Amino acid sequence: MIPLSYYLILGAILFCLSVAGIFINRKNVIILLMSIELMLLAVNMNFIAFSHYMNDIAGQVFVFFILTVAAAEAAIGLAILVVLYRNKSTINVDDLDSMKG
Amino acid sequence: MIELLIILAKIIVIVAPLLLAVAYLTFAERKIIGYMQGRIGPNRVGPRGWLQPIADALKLLFKEIIVPTNANRFLFVLAPILSIGPALAAWAVIPFDAHLVLANIDASLLYVLALTSVGVYGVIIAGWASNSKYAFLGAMRSAAQIVAYEIAMGFALVGVLMAAHSINLRDIVLAQSGGIVHWFWLPLLPLFLVYFISGVAETNRAPFDVAEGESEIVAGFHVEYSGMMFAVFFLAEYANIILISVLAALLFWGGWLSPFQGIPYLEGWFAVVPGTVWLLAKSAFFSFCFLWFRATFPRYRYDQIMRLGWKVFIPITIVWLVVLGIAIVSKVPPWFN
Amino acid sequence: MITEKVMFFVFASVLVFAALRVITARNPVHSALFLVLAFFSSSALWILLQAEFLAITLVLVYVGAVMVLFLFVVMMLDINLTKLREGFIKYLPVGATVALLIIAEMIIVLNANFGANKITSPMIHGPGYSNTAAIGGVMYTDYLYPFEIAAVILLVAIIAAIVLTLRRKVGAKSQSPAAQVQVRKSDRLRVVKMPVERKEIGQ
Repeated sequence: MIPLSYYLILGAILFCLSVAGIFINRKNVIILLMSIELMLLAVNMNFIAFSHYMNDIAGQVFVFFILTVAAAEAAIGLAILVVLYRNKSTINVDDLDSMKG
Repeated sequence: MIELLIILAKIIVIVAPLLLAVAYLTFAERKIIGYMQGRIGPNRVGPRGWLQPIADALKLLFKEIIVPTNANRFLFVLAPILSIGPALAAWAVIPFDAHLVLANIDASLLYVLALTSVGVYGVIIAGWASNSKYAFLGAMRSAAQIVAYEIAMGFALVGVLMAAHSINLRDIVLAQSGGIVHWFWLPLLPLFLVYFISGVAETNRAPFDVAEGESEIVAGFHVEYSGMMFAVFFLAEYANIILISVLAALLFWGGWLSPFQGIPYLEGWFAVVPGTVWLLAKSAFFSFCFLWFRATFPRYRYDQIMRLGWKVFIPITIVWLVVLGIAIVSKVPPWFN
Repeated sequence: MITEKVMFFVFASVLVFAALRVITARNPVHSALFLVLAFFSSSALWILLQAEFLAITLVLVYVGAVMVLFLFVVMMLDINLTKLREGFIKYLPVGATVALLIIAEMIIVLNANFGANKITSPMIHGPGYSNTAAIGGVMYTDYLYPFEIAAVILLVAIIAAIVLTLRRKVGAKSQSPAAQVQVRKSDRLRVVKMPVERKEIGQ
């Protein structure tokens, strides 16, 4: 029997790796998007582990919704990325400062 | 341990005839297209050319495998494996008869759909790792095309699972029992056409073979491949053709059910024919259609392919899903009562 | 049970390795491919947790569609890789420290019998159990409105992605099949009536 904490620790490791990914790849928008996907995967891992160990199917329904929203987010994120690249010929985060917000 | 060996034996029993069928499908293709064009086709190796596929395999086996200098070596070798792996793995859930299936998993239709969508990685990685313009063009074309037709195909399969109330392939076939008019081809005719044409597009077969397009981009994604690695791409393509044909038979044409069910006299006479034979006969016909298309239609232009997928097939399937939903709710006989 | 444990550790270590390579790979294409590997191994882990519907959906949606989109974009953009990796070494200590700190904290908290009294032993479902049917039963009743909102979100995403990237090139030439079919003879051809010209005889 695998204890629940193994899955939770795995989720935590994945989440931390993706946070570290955002820290160290902070210039490349594509890797940032991938890190966000990885983060959502870590969250999903926890949801499914809890759903299994507490005999509650609702956790899996939430994972389904997260998958939907994450797919939409990836599609729009990539669309924005393509438009940015067309207009500025770069995806470097440092060069995207024309809004002066 | 014994259990594992039995599973291994079952896998071999499925895969070995499959590879043989793939080999002879290439032979059948050359022969059939030959006759359609008023030629004889290969007839030198063995009696009437029957040993031709074996000769081809031997030739490819002994050819040198060349890896281009600037290619990404690891991905270059990985790509053919990624393209044949899903094509073979999908066979694990295909039922050949009511009880003849390797793994009768609950969501087998979803499993097949997931594995066929993974097959595109072989093409993309092959095109990218080759580090060649033509290979890359072919890979990009193929990726866009497969993603577009995947959606139409998925929608067509949604119709099937709505009609059958199940996503298990065995239950889908059993839901069609009761004679040839009970099979899903009749209530789902538009979806069947969309599914089959999308299947042709997804296997990159003529008339949708712009990913290979010999006359435009030499051979597309596998232009840099030679010898056995090329043969593996070839095997994957034909294994996918057979897979799409078997799925068409299972989902729309009653799978292993006899077409004479419910017809007096004929039903009794053909009762001795095992169900697997019916399934194989139906799939053989659809595989023949793939070859027939290749001999008949000229290649589509690329923008027309994308237009067909996005602007024609997806709307058709969505409209038909609404029609089907109304039919199921109002229990239209003889399918949904 | 020992096989289950072995499988968990194999897939978990592949998953962690793949995640590590996603954030450290030099080439974004490699990152995307390692992300695909990560999705595959977590799909296997979800099957160990008896969530086979979501495991297959993850492969179908993420590996089959989203990551193809990622690869497509990454391969099409001509990116200056060295410029984008500037600061990688500079930020590595910060990133690694934060990550290791959180991991250490989580392991300490989770291993200290975290909520063990609340966890009942998981139900091992028999072969007749359908995970898909169970999810469907809840999703179309209790979670019907969230489900419809998710559908609307997807629709908005489709429209947004199309509107963002659609551009009509000035001077691009394309055919309109509908217009081609509707062409009539009178649009293209002008029949001119003119009297027969005759050579004058005798000149």
